[in-house]
Amino acid sequence: MPSEETKESIIKAVELGRTLLHYGWIPLIIYVGFTQSDPQPSLIKLISPLA
Amino acid sequence: MTAAYSALTSRFSQWRAELGLPQPGTVENIQKEVKSTHLNNFIFDGARADLTKSLSINPVFQVTHSFALGSQVSQPSYNFGAIFANQNVFLQGGVDHDGNVNARLNQGWSAGNVTKVQAQFSQQAGHNMIQLEQDYQGADFSANLKAINPSPVDLTGIYVGNYLQSLSKNIALGFETLYQRPTPDMSESTTSYLAKYTSNDRNWIATAQVQSAGVVLATYWQRLSEKLEVAGELQLMTNSTRRDAIATLGAKYDLRVATFRAQLDSSGKVSALLEQRFTPFFAFLVSGELDHFKNAAKVGVGIMLESTSLTPEEMGMPPQI
Repeated sequence: MPSEETKESIIKAVELGRTLLHYGWIPLIIYVGFTQSDPQPSLIKLISPLA
Repeated sequence: MTAAYSALTSRFSQWRAELGLPQPGTVENIQKEVKSTHLNNFIFDGARADLTKSLSINPVFQVTHSFALGSQVSQPSYNFGAIFANQNVFLQGGVDHDGNVNARLNQGWSAGNVTKVQAQFSQQAGHNMIQLEQDYQGADFSANLKAINPSPVDLTGIYVGNYLQSLSKNIALGFETLYQRPTPDMSESTTSYLAKYTSNDRNWIATAQVQSAGVVLATYWQRLSEKLEVAGELQLMTNSTRRDAIATLGAKYDLRVATFRAQLDSSGKVSALLEQRFTPFFAFLVSGELDHFKNAAKVGVGIMLESTSLTPEEMGMPPQI
């Protein structure tokens, strides 16, 4: 059984990862899609629903 | 000793391959045909608009803006979604106007061996969820392991394992075990059993599922013609405290430019959904549900617009003259 300190640091690491993914997941997909797409789309077409 | 053992296992796998058993499909998708015929997963009320924009075909890259409004059961909402997929990786994300994010990641390692991660992130405590999943499909079986909200500290969480094996050309049997560990000193496991019968020409499928709490779910699906599919579902609950049953009958017509689904169930609900495609890029949806026993009705209208930043040549269409 891990010690109390290890437990606490694991919980903190999980919490940090959760926050990172919460704010970073959508930007990550957009970044991956934007760089890997062929041909590369323009940014305004990416964000605006009407363009 | 090892040589004898490996000879035995290779003999066994050869004998198994000679049986020519089909892939039974996954436990998760055992009622896939029924669910795509019935309209429980498709019905909506109020008004909605989905604007999808394809930015790339290979690899797939799409963004979606969804608006929903005037629903009796949910608040008006806006949702932004993004999808990226290539041969091995599938990434999906969505964020709504409250800042709740849902995420999905599938990584394929080889044919039939996929790792899946699903997560939900919310500002509210208790609405966060993560699900880790490993899916394996062999030649005549499929297996799947899931962990929902596993805690690395004390191993609490929900764990699900299932296995489905073809026994003949038509019959597949399987089971699903759910192991719940809400606190470190409390745990509980339940097992349900599954059976699936597929006809020789794959035009009809019957499934049955028996859960430990006295719940039995039986379904039947049949393709009557290229355009018409029908499905029935019977759900029986027989506990000591409650006895209940719901039967649902549905039909789906796939016409050239429209899909029509109609459904009737024993709780007095009649519902229908029409999806009319005026052009490949514009679809109009009308849905309606009448609850005769509660005297209630729901109506929904929606549009689906698809646009693309690509030229026809880039989409792989022949050049127009």
